[in-house]
Amino acid sequence: MILIDAGERSDHAFDAKLLMAMQLGERGHRVAIDATTRPADLDRSHRYQAAPFLADPADLAMSRVLVIGAEALSPETLQGLAGYRLGADVPVTLTGRFADRQAAIGARTKAAYVLGREPQVIDLADLQKSPLLPASPLPALACAHPATKRTRPEVFLCLPAESLEDPATLAAIGALDYLPEFGLTLVLAGKGRELLRMTRHAHLRAFGASELPPATLAAMADAAAFLGEDVGGERMAAFAADLMQAGGAVIDATAGAALAATGAPALRGPQDLAALGNFLVHTVLPNRHEIGRQTQASPWLKSHSIKRFEEALDLQAPSGRTAAASSQRVLFVPTNGVGLGHAQRCLQVAQEMADPAACAFAAFPSCLPMIEAQGLACLPLVSKSPSHHEEYANDLVNYLRLRRHAARGSTLVFDGGYVFDSIYRTILERALNGVWIRRGLWQPGQIHGAALEREKVFRQVIIPDEAFDELNADYTYGRHISHVGPILRRDADGPGEATEAGALTREDLAERFGLACRELLVTMLGAGVAADRTAQMQLLCSIAERRAGCLHLIVVWPGASVPPAVYGWKNSRVVRTRRTLALCRAADLAVSAAGYNAFHEILYHQVPAIFVPQTASFMDDQERRARAASGRGLAETVMAHELLQMEREVRAFLDDGKAARIREALATSALPQPGNAAAARLIERSMTDGR
Amino acid sequence: MTPTGSIAYVVDPRLPGGTSSAVAAELLALAEIAPVRVHALETRMFRGRAVAPQLAAALETLGLDLVWNAPTVSADLVVFHNPAVLKFQRDPGVRIVTRHLIVVTHENFLRPGAAEAFDVAGCLGQLDRATLSPLKSLAPVSPHNRQCILDWLDRNPGRDGWSVLGQDWFNICDHPRSVPSPAPADRRGRHSRPGAEKFPPLAVMDLCFPAHAQANVILGADSYVAAGLDRPHWSLYPFRGLDLDEYFAMVDFMVYFTAPGWRESFGRVMAEAIAAGKPVITDADTAAAFDGAALVASPEEVDAVIARLVGRPRLYRDHVIAAQARLDRHSSAAFREAFLRAAGPAIGVAP
Repeated sequence: MILIDAGERSDHAFDAKLLMAMQLGERGHRVAIDATTRPADLDRSHRYQAAPFLADPADLAMSRVLVIGAEALSPETLQGLAGYRLGADVPVTLTGRFADRQAAIGARTKAAYVLGREPQVIDLADLQKSPLLPASPLPALACAHPATKRTRPEVFLCLPAESLEDPATLAAIGALDYLPEFGLTLVLAGKGRELLRMTRHAHLRAFGASELPPATLAAMADAAAFLGEDVGGERMAAFAADLMQAGGAVIDATAGAALAATGAPALRGPQDLAALGNFLVHTVLPNRHEIGRQTQASPWLKSHSIKRFEEALDLQAPSGRTAAASSQRVLFVPTNGVGLGHAQRCLQVAQEMADPAACAFAAFPSCLPMIEAQGLACLPLVSKSPSHHEEYANDLVNYLRLRRHAARGSTLVFDGGYVFDSIYRTILERALNGVWIRRGLWQPGQIHGAALEREKVFRQVIIPDEAFDELNADYTYGRHISHVGPILRRDADGPGEATEAGALTREDLAERFGLACRELLVTMLGAGVAADRTAQMQLLCSIAERRAGCLHLIVVWPGASVPPAVYGWKNSRVVRTRRTLALCRAADLAVSAAGYNAFHEILYHQVPAIFVPQTASFMDDQERRARAASGRGLAETVMAHELLQMEREVRAFLDDGKAARIREALATSALPQPGNAAAARLIERSMTDGR
Repeated sequence: MTPTGSIAYVVDPRLPGGTSSAVAAELLALAEIAPVRVHALETRMFRGRAVAPQLAAALETLGLDLVWNAPTVSADLVVFHNPAVLKFQRDPGVRIVTRHLIVVTHENFLRPGAAEAFDVAGCLGQLDRATLSPLKSLAPVSPHNRQCILDWLDRNPGRDGWSVLGQDWFNICDHPRSVPSPAPADRRGRHSRPGAEKFPPLAVMDLCFPAHAQANVILGADSYVAAGLDRPHWSLYPFRGLDLDEYFAMVDFMVYFTAPGWRESFGRVMAEAIAAGKPVITDADTAAAFDGAALVASPEEVDAVIARLVGRPRLYRDHVIAAQARLDRHSSAAFREAFLRAAGPAIGVAP
């Protein structure tokens, strides 16, 4: 393990360490950063990027210590070096751009005092005669990265935030975005992204300059133009060098020729955005392969490459990196809430995949038994908890797990409403084929740019439609959006479902619960997370209590919380099971929330039902969904507060023939074909298509 | 015999610690021979610092004023103290015209392992360019310091303009002598500036200052205090956190090892301890400056050396008295003799 330290303890020095760690990590080296050197006020983006590298040095078997920026060795860094109690066989290397011979001797001497032996000193001025950033502590820049296949070139535009204050800038960028010859992505320094969100150009694909590792940005780009006064800091310089190394075209459109003046293989481009489009379309893109070839052959690039730096350190790059990159798997990641509904939907799709054995899951522990029962491997993720010291602590852990688990270039299928940082970053950093299964019917307040901004990282978005057309709406547009029929558990076709659906009879249930079962009422009102349904459950228990031979089953997912009061009724029983469909199919009446899965299963399996929509602000628009069915006479909708109406409707269903009428209506209604198989085909197609 | 030539000292008077004490003692000693003009340089190394108090006191005693930043220093003999003060600049800021330039090398040119301690060539080069003199000498302050100069010259040929004085330009050690304790105990101490170079690895410190000692007093332990080091059996004091008399009253032995990558060029703190009646235990290179006055041991041997002397108070006393006698070789009178031998011809005194 290589421990990376920096001469100074500052935010800037920490970021330089992080960049160095990323670069060496990309080369396959095992690297770490002393967690105690992390700045206390590190922002969220940096926390995610730093997480894979932070470690307690006491836990590490260190093979080397690398101190960058050693031209300024702070007492804290020296004290840290002394505190590591390094073995005599652990080499310590100092790198820096030393102003003169005394500066190099001084650094060596200070380190020697605390180490008790001599460190290796590398003066970067000897390696890199004309760096992009002469004052940077970062030793190496260009880190080789496998090029990603793309059907259309991607052009990145790197801009300082202040340039967006000129209205003409965004107008020109907006025009560039409409050019069909390339895809456009902005990389914005400082508050650029926040500024962009406040404009009518918020739809433009954009990343913050420090949001992602430079190598990740480089892997997404074929060409990048740098505008503004200078390169824009270490991350942008690293991005430029990484792109050069990957054979991309780097266009220096800075005012002072900040890149080209160093001898770096950058094309001098127009500083005027209005001219950039033509320059790209007619000069750069038609010649980009030759530009890339010449760029990669540049002596400047060789002297600024991580490989050259490794040689100076006498560091062997580990092998085996490419082997991991070639493995192809499909990782389903159903999250949000407890994740059971999402996991169930993903399972239906996985079962339709041509090679289900190539599928694996990463899901919350609540979903593990259900997934593993289908014979699929599942990486447990950590659920959010109020006990965590910060709101995204669980997601940081999930990020580390996903990052470790997902092979570069493989496929990640996410099912959920909110794209967590862990998902977003893993897809980008591992160059994954991202697929988003995103059911619709969001509440109006949920449909906004911020929620959908991360759609940009998915190659394919699959929208499982609602059964009724008026409920289907597009929030975003593009060739990457595909609609499929409702995804749901299908009768007797899926593994395990035949037994589930077919085996449950009234006799089975009577024997199982020790009660007569001439009439079966099934209640599925949720796990209590979205809303407290105690009153409604109590009402249904009391109704069942008054009906001789009525068995009332309160069905919840395993692990759900149930109000203790419902355990006191004679005709009611709490059932913790995933076999909800089989119970519904056996029921005379189901009283259910109108979540996507339950709703469609009830309709497609012709179960007479009263829907009690969840109305929490973070849920989908269940009332619209429920009323779409009840308006067609295919179910009834009763709002949670309408308790008297509930009693009347239960009587109508069970005593007045309404259940039979609805069952008959469902049998004759034309519902769209389920989309399980279509979703699987779309995933498979995305695995072979370029972006 | 009274010198007929003029003597000028060139020094950055803000030099901290032992070097300023050494220069102050020299000025006081030389007052009996001839007047000395003291030129003050403002080097980048000590930017923002005040004149060292011990030097200021000596100048006041002698009624001398510092001559600040003279563009040219001209004298029959010019003594330049510590060329390392020039390491952060490219020009000394003064021109020197003299019959003999003596550069006193208070800092070792090489560290253990032969790594260069500072940019020696850069500093000597500055003096070369700034000086018009038929004779330029490097004056080592101790045998170890001398060896470093010779080794450096070996490795850096082409410095033919420089000679090395045949005798050491030692620090004057005129400290008042104290009698040794008649009943020494295993009370150990060390004092130094708090720099990292002054301290050996912690494992060595643990060997030298063990829990079974009756006292372990560490003066100048700023870095340990800052790091919150957990050694309940150590009494840690920051630099100047104790008056030296107070400190010496708390210990019967001075155990002094430094970072393996650094050596004292002279070791004034050890002279202070010997004068205070305390046996000094240190490594062979460091002890060499005192010609047998310091006891040589490895860290592993410290316990045995101390046990032997604690068990035999007479031996303890004899050792201290002998060590103090050897320290007399570093007296003011001895320095004056050595000075005249080295610099006499330049100032009209026959050697």
